[in-house]
Amino acid sequence: MSDEALLSVRGLRTTFRRDGAEPLTAVDGVSFDVRRGQALAIVGESGSGKSVTMRSVMGILPRTARITDGQAMFGGRDLLAIGDKELRKVRGRDIAMVFQSAMEAMNPTLTLERQLTEHLLWHGICNKAEARKRAVRALGDVGIPDPEKRIRTYPFQLSGGMRQRAMIAMAMVTEPALLIADEPTTAVDVTVQRQILDLLAELKNRGTGVIMITHDLGVARYFCDDAVVMYAGRVVERAPMDRLLDDPRHPYSVGLLGSGVEVGGRELPLRPIPGSPPDLSHRPDGCPFHPRCARAELPRCGTEQETLTIGPGRDAACWKVAVDA
Amino acid sequence: MGLAGYIGKRAVRLVLSLIAVSILTFTLLQLAPGNFADLQRVNSGATNFGGVGTESMVGELESRYGADVPVWKQYLIFMKGAVVWDFGPSYKYASRNVQDIISEAFPVSATLAVLAVLLALLIAVPVGVFAALRQNSKTDHTTMFVVTLGHALPSYLTAAFMILLFSATLKLLPSGGWNGPEDMILPVLALSLGPAAVLARYVRSSMLETLREEYVTAALAKGGPRRTVIIRHALRNSLIPLVTVAGPLLAALMTGTVFVEALLRIPGLGLYFANAAASRDMPLLMGTALFFALILMVTNLVVDLIYGLLDPRIRTVGGGSHDGH
Repeated sequence: MSDEALLSVRGLRTTFRRDGAEPLTAVDGVSFDVRRGQALAIVGESGSGKSVTMRSVMGILPRTARITDGQAMFGGRDLLAIGDKELRKVRGRDIAMVFQSAMEAMNPTLTLERQLTEHLLWHGICNKAEARKRAVRALGDVGIPDPEKRIRTYPFQLSGGMRQRAMIAMAMVTEPALLIADEPTTAVDVTVQRQILDLLAELKNRGTGVIMITHDLGVARYFCDDAVVMYAGRVVERAPMDRLLDDPRHPYSVGLLGSGVEVGGRELPLRPIPGSPPDLSHRPDGCPFHPRCARAELPRCGTEQETLTIGPGRDAACWKVAVDA
Repeated sequence: MGLAGYIGKRAVRLVLSLIAVSILTFTLLQLAPGNFADLQRVNSGATNFGGVGTESMVGELESRYGADVPVWKQYLIFMKGAVVWDFGPSYKYASRNVQDIISEAFPVSATLAVLAVLLALLIAVPVGVFAALRQNSKTDHTTMFVVTLGHALPSYLTAAFMILLFSATLKLLPSGGWNGPEDMILPVLALSLGPAAVLARYVRSSMLETLREEYVTAALAKGGPRRTVIIRHALRNSLIPLVTVAGPLLAALMTGTVFVEALLRIPGLGLYFANAAASRDMPLLMGTALFFALILMVTNLVVDLIYGLLDPRIRTVGGGSHDGH
């Protein structure tokens, strides 16, 4: 599968420097693939390391963060090894990012025109006049009426839904091969949520690879093909989306599916996972989920975590899961 | 129409405030112990009641207000003159009208103030940005320590030190007076250090806040060169609130700086004001106090207008409700 992968991340490890303490490992050996025209959901609770994973790949981590291991192959090059100067050419041109809230991710004092064209110019894709044309077209593509006029406005002059669309247009104006969407529907209301997801699905159908970071399985289910479930900085299960929903294997995935998310139009009974996610500075040894796991068996779960391949395109980081014959 | 209406509303408020200030100042000065005539007598060492000069001064006072005019009527007479920019003759500088003293001394103080604030900005912006970009590093801590020192040093100490260094020891600059551009160097330097420190701290914290904004990360994610992102997205937005600090600083300096003007023998407004207060020179005190109030309020109005000009969120909303300081 790796040979046709658009982005292939292997063994990514990201740590955060702390004052007077050991560095904190926020992402610990994460691997996944995204293919062209496919959507991958990275699912997990807040603090599970999903955003840090994607920001590591993009090279937009805060100063205290350091990538200590792993590779991220994209277009035949390892994004983690090419250096910031080369990575900058990929960032925003071939891989674009959509954020949770356009209100925060768009500069309040610059017009849409400025913000939708500046990276076309940075990357030397076209001249100013052409950039403007492309920006107007991109705004029209995401369903903003009267884009010629709207491009002269500021983000705060748009409604929440329009603003979110404008941010997607900003990401898509360079026609990237891969779009990373970091909780793109969390900050908008439900009706807008659906529109945004439809918009992203349309991009996917046109061949863009999409990585959707979300804590909401309902959103992931809506248009993602594959899913990666993260817990405490590690991947606990990787599976095709429908397989994960029908038949979750890792006890954490089972718990996540059971904790009241809406799946397939029916509300599953609310059975919250007992306990809370670990503070990353006190991550349990072995499987980080074992203190909360109903099926945990000590001492083995407290000392090791084994990832088993459990079927085609599926694996789970638990030695107790059933493996398909 | 919106802007004209806004300015009109502010102008009405300004006039009402000036009336309030005038009543308050007048009342307080009436209640203050001592009067010009008594002080003149004591200072001249005259033993008899009222010297010649004092006698004529009192006569002039009586001819202007009438000897037995009630206080409220004195106030009204004063205000009638003030409206048409006529505050009458000063007691202390008996040959000159108050408005002529102000017209002559204010440009001196204003020149110093504008130059000092400009110099302060030239120092503060790079220093603040430099420190912010290296937050919590040794350079940051050292810079901020020096800045705090600069803030703590009163301008008259700096001025005295500079006179010692540049005039007395190195004999490079005149030690005072107001005859040419070379006389401006010492006072501008002395006056700018404090404001530079205040502004540098402000730039640093404002910059740190902006650097944490998601839109800065988003601009980096678009592939923006670090320097461009810092200048266009972070610095620009950090400097907008700076006008609300720089404005009042400028107003404070424009209304005169007693110590520096006294030390360097500069015929600025601060010096006249201090002398007027010491000798209970009522017309000069009232005139300068009202003028200071006017300067402060006009500066605040200008600051708000500039803020609106720089920040589209306020400009387009109409700015009616903004009082940015």
